[in-house]
Amino acid sequence: MYSSHMLRKKVPRLLQVFKRTSHCDRQQYDVIVVGGGHAGTEAAAAAARVGARTLLVTQKIQTIGALSCNPSLGGIGKGHLVKEVDALDGVCGRAGDWAGIHFSILNRRKGPAVWGPRAQLDRQLYREFIQSDLLSTPRLTVWEGSVEELMVEEPNPEKPGRHQVTGIRLANMETPISARSVVLTTGTFLSGSLFVGQTSSPGGRIGDAPSSAGLSHTIRERLGLRTGRLRTGTPPRVVKNSVDVSLAKLHPADLNPTPFSFINTQTRCKPEEQLPCYLTFTTPAVERVVRENLHLNCHIQQDTKGPRYCPSIESRVLRFPGRQHQVWLEPEGLTSDLLYPQGLSTTMPPDVQLRLLREIPALHKAEIHTPGTTIARRRFTVFSCLNALNQTNKCVFFFCLVVFSGYGVQYDFVCPTQLSPALQVKSTQGLFLAGQINGTTGYEEAAAQGLVAGLNAARSALAMPTVMLSRTESYIGVLIDDLVSRGVTEPYRMFTSRAEFRASLRPDNADLRLTLKGFEELGCVSSERYKEAVRVRDTLQDAMAALQSLSALPHIWKQKLPNIEISENKSGELTCMNLLLYNDVTIEMLASVFPESLSPYMEFSQRLKIEAVYRPHCDLQKREMARIQREETMLLPEDLDYFSLPVSLSQEVREILDRVRPTTLGAATRLEGMTPAATVNLLNYVRFSNRKVSKIHQKETDPKKAGEEEDLHVRNASLRQ
Amino acid sequence: MKSCRHSSSLDGASVGMADADTIFALSSGHGRCGVAVVRVSGPASPTALSCMAGFRRGLMPPPRTAVLRSITDPHSNEVLDRGLVLWFPGPHSFSGEDSVEFHIHGGPAVITSVLQALGSVPGVRPAEAGEFTRRAFQAGKLDLTEVEGLGDLIHAETEAQRRQALRQMSGDLGRLYQAWSHRMKRCLAHVEAFIDFSEDELIDDGILTEVDRTVAQLQAEMEQHLKDERRGERLRTGVQVVIAGATNAGKSSLLNTLCQRPAAIVSPIPGTTRDVVDTALDIGGFPVLLSDTAGLRDSSDLVEREGIRRAVERLEQADLTLMVVDCSHIPADVQPAASFLREHLHKLMPSDQCLLVLNKTDLIADSQREKLAVGLQSVPGLPPFCLISCQTHQGLTDFLTALHSRVKTLCGNPLSGSPTLTQARHRTHLQRSVAALAQYQRYRDADLALAAEGVRLALTCLGRITGRVGAEEILDIIFKDFCIGK
Repeated sequence: MYSSHMLRKKVPRLLQVFKRTSHCDRQQYDVIVVGGGHAGTEAAAAAARVGARTLLVTQKIQTIGALSCNPSLGGIGKGHLVKEVDALDGVCGRAGDWAGIHFSILNRRKGPAVWGPRAQLDRQLYREFIQSDLLSTPRLTVWEGSVEELMVEEPNPEKPGRHQVTGIRLANMETPISARSVVLTTGTFLSGSLFVGQTSSPGGRIGDAPSSAGLSHTIRERLGLRTGRLRTGTPPRVVKNSVDVSLAKLHPADLNPTPFSFINTQTRCKPEEQLPCYLTFTTPAVERVVRENLHLNCHIQQDTKGPRYCPSIESRVLRFPGRQHQVWLEPEGLTSDLLYPQGLSTTMPPDVQLRLLREIPALHKAEIHTPGTTIARRRFTVFSCLNALNQTNKCVFFFCLVVFSGYGVQYDFVCPTQLSPALQVKSTQGLFLAGQINGTTGYEEAAAQGLVAGLNAARSALAMPTVMLSRTESYIGVLIDDLVSRGVTEPYRMFTSRAEFRASLRPDNADLRLTLKGFEELGCVSSERYKEAVRVRDTLQDAMAALQSLSALPHIWKQKLPNIEISENKSGELTCMNLLLYNDVTIEMLASVFPESLSPYMEFSQRLKIEAVYRPHCDLQKREMARIQREETMLLPEDLDYFSLPVSLSQEVREILDRVRPTTLGAATRLEGMTPAATVNLLNYVRFSNRKVSKIHQKETDPKKAGEEEDLHVRNASLRQ
Repeated sequence: MKSCRHSSSLDGASVGMADADTIFALSSGHGRCGVAVVRVSGPASPTALSCMAGFRRGLMPPPRTAVLRSITDPHSNEVLDRGLVLWFPGPHSFSGEDSVEFHIHGGPAVITSVLQALGSVPGVRPAEAGEFTRRAFQAGKLDLTEVEGLGDLIHAETEAQRRQALRQMSGDLGRLYQAWSHRMKRCLAHVEAFIDFSEDELIDDGILTEVDRTVAQLQAEMEQHLKDERRGERLRTGVQVVIAGATNAGKSSLLNTLCQRPAAIVSPIPGTTRDVVDTALDIGGFPVLLSDTAGLRDSSDLVEREGIRRAVERLEQADLTLMVVDCSHIPADVQPAASFLREHLHKLMPSDQCLLVLNKTDLIADSQREKLAVGLQSVPGLPPFCLISCQTHQGLTDFLTALHSRVKTLCGNPLSGSPTLTQARHRTHLQRSVAALAQYQRYRDADLALAAEGVRLALTCLGRITGRVGAEEILDIIFKDFCIGK
């Protein structure tokens, strides 16, 4: 089975990475992906899957697939994204199954539509899996280097856009590398600055060199893209031995780990090997330390927009004073001696960070992990270094990811309303952006965008039309539509409440929603995975038909299932589908009544129960979804001059349209300030101009047929009442 | 038989309301008319026909043929009217969809009861402004000349509906709906917060208990409201015509002239009228609610300022404004007169539905009057105008003709000024909203996602009265009420 395929996969030594990338075999690619984070890795893998010769350029190969912040994947809303990326044959779901050391489904009691598959990860295993997967991907080359410049030329006059990207130039290299598409996934490195206490230094992540100023220059000055500034932060890492976990609440993993990936039936980590998390709380003293030391913190004093939902402990204390705040202590890996204090993101000076930590009972003797640094107290530095070096298997970790105390990052993002739903910069042919550069936060949000950007970069390079995912079919679609049509004012994170079709877009059915389309229309899904999805779809359909056809009279059901309160006032027979609407009725119970008919489907018992309960609600949403999809197929030309458009639109609406330049009529209707009348006028224009074009085509090929259509039109008109 | 493919039935648990639902609207005008036409379009039209005109399912009348039937309430089976029904199977209908027409008697009571009965058929809801035309357009049923006017038509319909909504929402009823909407928003925000954040954050389980309580209260209050036969305040009927202008332009005189009795106090003192004076009139057979308002000027008098605020409020809700100008204040030459009027209008009048009344022609020379009458005709950018004297009734006949034709046009649009229709719309949306809240109760313990879906739907339905609520607004409440740290 598929799972054994994954579990057999050997992780190559890091040496192989260098071997593979020590020489550059060509100067020309279809797609170049800049950055090896969550967006970059998915982008590179997706581009290569589509069939493009792809180059991934990253500053340090060892940091490909690094988890810069929390050691976990998935969660509520985010788990949906992981499942969807996996359904499109992406990497992060499988990597999560390989590296997970604590699996749990959040919201288990709140309904399958909002279940949040989540896992704590072993940082090292995750990185290794991603690196090995990329290196075994055909058509993909990985290269270490720093991008100095984006090569830009005059645009192709036959396509919209003011510029065209032709490749990149690396630092210390004369000749540029050319490509038809470039995907930028530079994360927080675009004019990034790091903050601890009152000091700041350029950079996008501690331990990595800042990215070149050349790239930001090209984006802002040469391409004229609008940018904004956001901030984020990360907590200090705590030495596990210094934590008194007996003072925290133990939070075990699920007894049976549920894999993220649709092609895995089990995870690498055995159920009994999973590590627990711990829950603890802040005290009033924490608040006091924060308040007394606010003057030592320049990050928090500036008014750059930080997230409302992942705020630093400083922001939380200031916004909600006098409360206890939760702090989760999460394992960093099977062999790691660190814990990650989720909820304690801070930019206080290191000594204050330590004082703050120690005001939490379980952390009263806590040590911060600060290897080889000058900013923390020397005593602790030496201690932690020794701690890391004592374990030989920690050496790799130590060298490739140097962890400091908590710190903040401020960085530039490109206002995402300048992108098309394919994540292409509208004004620049061949340039795609994904991840934090678009104003999002989170690994899963980055991975989802990376996949879409890589997929489209490849399609565009291979002269295929770009594609989009609709908000009616996926959280990825919701994410991208929100970004490109509304823009961001704070780091954007996925919540299930953002999806209007939540009942239909569930984690359990991501494969049915996306894998089939991914193979048939997008070209980013392997035939192996496609075949499996087809099998699943067909089996589920057969099973649903069987459940619909198997029925019995209410009193028979009562006899067979005495524990279920079946209402007898309904006349006629009740089908298995009707029965499944009762909370306590499971497929297993029904199979005990109809063993021959239902036993072939037991593999999908949970999915069938969910399908049966949700089907009436999904059916209700279908028509609204169809309307949105119809509007999304009506494309607005990208080079439309809204100010001279010969239709009746108010100046205000023209300005909105010109500023946002929606790609489809659907996106236009969701803009704030659009009136129904303006929508209809726009629709008229698009319909009419499309019809004119198609009529010309028709007349060229078959003049008689065009005449007939004219007649039909007249006939229809006369039928009106 | 063609209709067999329609399997939609009354027993579906359809509390939802998709935009591609079956829609209905009164498509004849209001006012004095013998026959009213109610149109239904969409997949549930055959259901509406079978359950309201007594056709058994699957046995529809012959297409496009008028049949005389008793029209009944689908739930109580009470006979509402006897009228003609027509069945237009798609695509051979106005909208391209399956459609049904009910030709009923034109009285407001009959119309209201039929509209309300239609609103209670599952999957059927009142049309939004311009929705019929939009569907017809999307099905390719409009010819090009009609398509060009479509935007304007929809603009007019939306505006009419917006004004109608403004009128209703400014009263106690509006406040009631807004309060419900506000409470429902908080309920939804709290449920959503519990779904999206409670696993990682300190969100007290108690918030759901509070939501349970509020939802139950809302259900009870809304049901009580729907049962209340008095239906709250009586809605003002007719085309809303508002007289506005500067102080002492003769607004109250115009009102008195039109209603042929001294309804408002008239004096030479500027600022005599301080409150809005409403009079119901019949103009050429059409119901008109004529309102005289306080003269617009900067005033330091508290009472007068309140009167002016009310005047401005009423202006925003007006279907038609009669802008009264003292023509003895107008410059003698045509061009300066035109700019004077333009500036005057610009200062006082935002709406596009306006009739300019140049009053007090008795104070200017006949030659001057002629000059203005001819000269202003060719000036672009001015609304239609009439020269009259309320004192001598000079020009009154022409003015009445102009007013009559404007009122007639406004009444021809079934959406403008028809409180019965708005009332029916509100009723349907409220019913759906209450039904959706029941979904919350049903799934509360088994599946919170589906329970939340119920509150979402309820808010969407109520939002069709009080204004749409977006996901961002809900997130704003969440982040204001909870400390979300992960």
